[in-house]
Amino acid sequence: MSDIGGVDLFVLEFGDILHYFTPYSLTLFIFALIFTVLVIVARPERQLDIVFGGDAYYAKKTPISERQFRRFMAIACGLASMGAMASGDIFNYTLFVSMVGITNVGIVAAVKSRHVLNAAYEYGIVAMVGTLPLFGGAALILGTTGTLSIPALATGGYAVPLVAKILLALGVTGEGMAPFYAAKAEMFRAPGAPYVIMCSLSSLLIFLRVVEIVITI
Amino acid sequence: MIEYLVFAAVFGLLLLGLHRKVIARIQTRPGPPIWQEILHALKFSFKSTWVPRTASATLYVGIVLIGIGIWSAAFFVVFAGESILILFAIYMLHKVVEHGFGLSSGSPYGKFGGVRSVISAASEIPLFVTIAAIYLLTGSLILRDITAYQGVHGPLLFIAPPFAIAMFLVILSKMPYGPFSIVESKELVSGYKTEHFGVWRAGLAVTEGLKTFVLLYAFVAIFIGAVPFWAALVIMTVVLISLSFVCAITPMLSPYDSVTIQGLITGLMLVYTGYLWWVIP
Repeated sequence: MSDIGGVDLFVLEFGDILHYFTPYSLTLFIFALIFTVLVIVARPERQLDIVFGGDAYYAKKTPISERQFRRFMAIACGLASMGAMASGDIFNYTLFVSMVGITNVGIVAAVKSRHVLNAAYEYGIVAMVGTLPLFGGAALILGTTGTLSIPALATGGYAVPLVAKILLALGVTGEGMAPFYAAKAEMFRAPGAPYVIMCSLSSLLIFLRVVEIVITI
Repeated sequence: MIEYLVFAAVFGLLLLGLHRKVIARIQTRPGPPIWQEILHALKFSFKSTWVPRTASATLYVGIVLIGIGIWSAAFFVVFAGESILILFAIYMLHKVVEHGFGLSSGSPYGKFGGVRSVISAASEIPLFVTIAAIYLLTGSLILRDITAYQGVHGPLLFIAPPFAIAMFLVILSKMPYGPFSIVESKELVSGYKTEHFGVWRAGLAVTEGLKTFVLLYAFVAIFIGAVPFWAALVIMTVVLISLSFVCAITPMLSPYDSVTIQGLITGLMLVYTGYLWWVIP
């Protein structure tokens, strides 16, 4: 297997499906783990808003019911990101990526702000459309090579179509990377860090992993 | 090991001080002494420190440690000659550190800095194209292999100069007072850094010092190859001064112009990479 992410540190076999860590994927996994722990233990910030036309300002509080739901979705997002980092199977990876898209909407869905909810709706549509090339890419790889195992594809014995790699990368990009991320930036206006930070972190992590996958297979 | 980190952080802060000095001289101002950033870091280390009442305390403190942690890891990755893909990952994850700094305090200035940080995510894409092209040319992303390749074929700076320019722009996008510094522009006070003060700000200064050192050293290692350590420091200083010239003579772009230019650079790099892919057997 190509060692672009460093030599394998750990391999766990589930039949023909492998889960593995390279120094690269382990770095990403640890980062997701650290932020998931932060989400579990940290209380949310109280965002200050200035009242225009006066000197007043007020602090927004995140109600407990809203906090519980957003924390749950942020933890789910962290777990999905960690799954995507550890998976050695392209289909599992695409499933985890889709889960990241759903949980990202969930993280801000409980916020009672029209602006944030509109942004979440727009992001949700883009992410949903992004799943088409995402699963299309995985299906093409399976159809042409007969396997979705990343280590098997990386041995070099299979001709993975370039269009399949492009579709896979495009699908992940649709889940929140440039240039499809404008709505995600608006979602960031929602109060309650560290939950909203998971939206950005998960997108970066799945993009970084797909870079490794596309170069490796 | 710790002495290497301390040296990198101090030298990085010295480079940032030199950066301010060069910009000031070009703009016919006297400017601060070049050790000003080191003095800042020391000064903040001894100032009174607390956590704002509106902040998410764990995140507010934790993000400082994460910032120092990821750039320390990047330092060892570069010095051990490991995969530059890890360096790429850390560079991108620094974005999350900016978000964490900006969003953890509850301040609207920090919040806008964080939102702009999300918008400026386009600056990472030229780096991805650069790394893909390096893999295409050298057949590896392990820094040791890339250095060995340059030992045989000559510096990548002369083999594929557009990618060196792309990486130069990537570093430029992380330099303070530059055309892409929208995350810490003055209309947002200090952007994502606004609410971190005292020892937290000293931690942020260490992060900045390490980041500057690592990015410039990586540029030398990737595009020049193996050179003696003192020569690497001299080349890093020259690269930094050239960055300072660009920062001094270019206005800060608006967030959307910044994204447009970075997108255009990515497009050009993709075309050049496609050309290389076509011509390389």
